[in-house]
Amino acid sequence: MTDVGAAYRPYRDRCAITGIGSTAFTKRSGQTELSLATEAALAAIADAGLEPADIDGLVRCDSDNVLHNDIALALGVRNLDYYGENGPGGVAPCGMIGQAVAAVLAGQATNVIVYRALNGRSGRRWGQADAGASEALIGGDGTYDELVYPSGLFTPGQMWALIAQRHMLEFGTRAEHLGAIAVNGRERANANPAAMMYDRKLTLDDYLAARFITEPLRLFDYCLETDGACAVVVSGAERAKDSPHRPVLVRAVAQATGPGVSGGESLPILLRGPSLTTLMAKTAADVLYARAGLGPSDIDVAQLYDCFTIAVLTQLEDYGFCAKGEGGPFAAAGEIALGGTIPVNTSGGHLSEGYIHGMSHIVEAVRQLRGDSSNPVPGAATCLVTSSPIPNTSALILVAP
Amino acid sequence: VIPRTDDPDTAGFFDAARRGELAIRICDSCGTVLHTPRAYCSACGSWDSSWRAVRPTGTLYSWTVTRHQVNPEFPVPYTVVLVQLDDAPDVRLLGHLPGTPDLTGGQPMVARFEETAPGVVIPQWEPIARPAEHTSAR
Repeated sequence: MTDVGAAYRPYRDRCAITGIGSTAFTKRSGQTELSLATEAALAAIADAGLEPADIDGLVRCDSDNVLHNDIALALGVRNLDYYGENGPGGVAPCGMIGQAVAAVLAGQATNVIVYRALNGRSGRRWGQADAGASEALIGGDGTYDELVYPSGLFTPGQMWALIAQRHMLEFGTRAEHLGAIAVNGRERANANPAAMMYDRKLTLDDYLAARFITEPLRLFDYCLETDGACAVVVSGAERAKDSPHRPVLVRAVAQATGPGVSGGESLPILLRGPSLTTLMAKTAADVLYARAGLGPSDIDVAQLYDCFTIAVLTQLEDYGFCAKGEGGPFAAAGEIALGGTIPVNTSGGHLSEGYIHGMSHIVEAVRQLRGDSSNPVPGAATCLVTSSPIPNTSALILVAP
Repeated sequence: VIPRTDDPDTAGFFDAARRGELAIRICDSCGTVLHTPRAYCSACGSWDSSWRAVRPTGTLYSWTVTRHQVNPEFPVPYTVVLVQLDDAPDVRLLGHLPGTPDLTGGQPMVARFEETAPGVVIPQWEPIARPAEHTSAR
């Protein structure tokens, strides 16, 4: 067996995120996704002190409608020497950074743009069922949807509801525990002028009084739907020295399928495997910490993928901030708030800032380590970022030396 | 919502259901359960497998009540159940129950076979009525 930590050690801190960019987060952008991607990418390139002509690499999410060629044309690059893709969907962002790092360190690119753009509210809405919209037969070809959809299960919200119910059965997790995660995101968003929920308060009573969507999940267990885009520039660490910003280095990146991933895109994870409450995030955490030479107690702030509150709860456990089964009480005790053991989702996250499919978490991590977050964690020098923990996953640790 | 029942990797599941049987795919060579269903056994390297009938019983692993409609063919509220098979604990299957039945984690469940379209039979799942209730009804 390869020692994943030792094998990665020469690559720690060798690349930096030198630029970040975001569009406004809205319900109706009135722009194409190409325009959103272009705007975010231009902002990230300018933030890095670069010109579009300096971009020679690109990594995209497999769910993005904006293709390599589209954005290469829109930005006016000279040539893309390297392009790559990652996924599925929200699994991609940290893995995309990993590909960018690998490309830079292998001499295939010098400045790589990584982006995600979507009209997630005014365009295709991810929480809606596609099935039944056509007369076509469902499933087959490795999707395993033919084993899923006849039950009436079509959406990520239903899948996460089954995971939440199972967590409740195994560990006694309660609605108030999930509610604490929703309220945490909202309180951070209330201090972040860029957040869609900046001026909307949410109390635990509001959370509990909201309607069920898929029991045991209520309205505020669900993330937002957002039109917008985020982009970052990944370059060699030496280039970060020329940047106007405090350097933010990529300490380590990990992707994980684990040995027990399901076939199909994501819903079929329900059908197999030893556990629904320990996800591939646990495997990713083991690899990531070994590569980084760090453990959970070394992490100052975390941006955890939060498509649903329960996703944060399981990741608190899988990334080792508390014991398995203790995620609910841990969150409810204020340990994920500012001033807690591990401040989580300091922008408001997907629950309350905006849903840019995991990419906005990376942007907030960089803001946090530069000292530019609207919810600064004093002295933060290490930030964990995670992407969707289902079906496979990716994660990274950024450091500000 | 009519599933494809002729995919080479999963057709045997629906073939068995048409006969009123619940079947899982098993490696002929080493007996590994191939689920989600697929042709190649990574445990022993065999490409030979068969569909084997198992008891159509399990326990309730989890469930969710859908309150917000996502598909016009599935009026709300309805309950999606996730069942762990008695004969193959690594295999879980999904089922649909109308309404909001009273459910308890780990309770015994049994498959019923529903013909949802001509030639398309889906194993669905429902709680096993407690024997005591049958006794008292007599």
